[in-house]
Amino acid sequence: MNAVPLACARVRVLLESYVDGDLARDDAPLAAEMREHLAGCADCRRQHHQAVSVPFRLKALISPPPRASLLADVMSSIGPAKTGYRRAWTLVAPEAILAAFILWYLSGLDGLSSIASGIFGDLQSLAGWGSGTGQLPSVPRVDIVLLIALIALAAIAGYHLSILIRLAPGALPTRRAARE
Amino acid sequence: MHAAAQESTARAMSDARLTATLPAAQLVRHATGGDRDAFEELIRRLQRRVYGFAYQHLRDADEAHDLAQEIFVKFYRNLSRYDAERPFDPWFWKLAANTAINYRRKRIPLPAEPAQEAAGPDHPRPTHDPALVEALAQLDPAYRMPILLHYYADLSLEQVGQSLNLSIPAIKSRLHRARAQLRNSLAEAEETEETR
Repeated sequence: MNAVPLACARVRVLLESYVDGDLARDDAPLAAEMREHLAGCADCRRQHHQAVSVPFRLKALISPPPRASLLADVMSSIGPAKTGYRRAWTLVAPEAILAAFILWYLSGLDGLSSIASGIFGDLQSLAGWGSGTGQLPSVPRVDIVLLIALIALAAIAGYHLSILIRLAPGALPTRRAARE
Repeated sequence: MHAAAQESTARAMSDARLTATLPAAQLVRHATGGDRDAFEELIRRLQRRVYGFAYQHLRDADEAHDLAQEIFVKFYRNLSRYDAERPFDPWFWKLAANTAINYRRKRIPLPAEPAQEAAGPDHPRPTHDPALVEALAQLDPAYRMPILLHYYADLSLEQVGQSLNLSIPAIKSRLHRARAQLRNSLAEAEETEETR
């Protein structure tokens, strides 16, 4: 142990480290000297009590509650959900492209009826192939492209609809992700 | 019609309950996707601590309200920057601390007696531990910020370090110095009180 007793000034510099237990961990002999000094020095003991109480007082510090309007004020400051709106409008472009392609391919009612009769024929051939009386029908490549376009359009439109429902005033938010 | 309304109310209540149970990181994900209810829930959870933090930093109810609002608006604008793989608290409080520091820099200094507010629902007068509140106000912001984040916002030393871009030893050192200053101020205040 150090022959020179600890000065009060030194003790007060080390008080917080002593209170937290850091001093005992980092320098046990010095912590023992502190303990000895505190036992014999009333002024430093008072400071020690204060040092012990400060963290508790800080944790117990009470602030006034926020104003009831804080939530509404924040929500009015941020305005409408811009990201959602932007995304909603961005989705119109691929939808329009896909819809234009599909309409061009169908070419009105005549195209639609020819597609319907084609699908009916394909299904008949498929049934014949299943029962072993016919060959597997060959599907034109452009029909596969049309099918992919239709699936993509349905997926984008569904996503778009979910965004629009979320943005609609008073609409219930979806919680699909929460249930995952 | 009536049944539909009841079902709608029940769904709304169920959604509200569901939102209330989600962890903050997941709420941020929802809010980033445009879910305003999720963002409102985040504000509801944080507003008391954020306002208290702002109040202890500025000691003025009106300014604390403005600062809390600014923190939440910044939070909203930075939602997409949050990495859901990382803990939410240090990220959020880093943003809150930076906003508070910048707010204090640009604000007009308050008069010497900042607690001269009209009492009322919008201006509640703090009566709890005024000596400590006063001592805290005297601290340099570099020392007050770790104190508020650790003892008031309840962040761990590691989280305070992450929030303020400081190492744990540096945070510990600041906290020790800050507490020593508080201790001295409180001792002085007690002495003054005793001599009266």
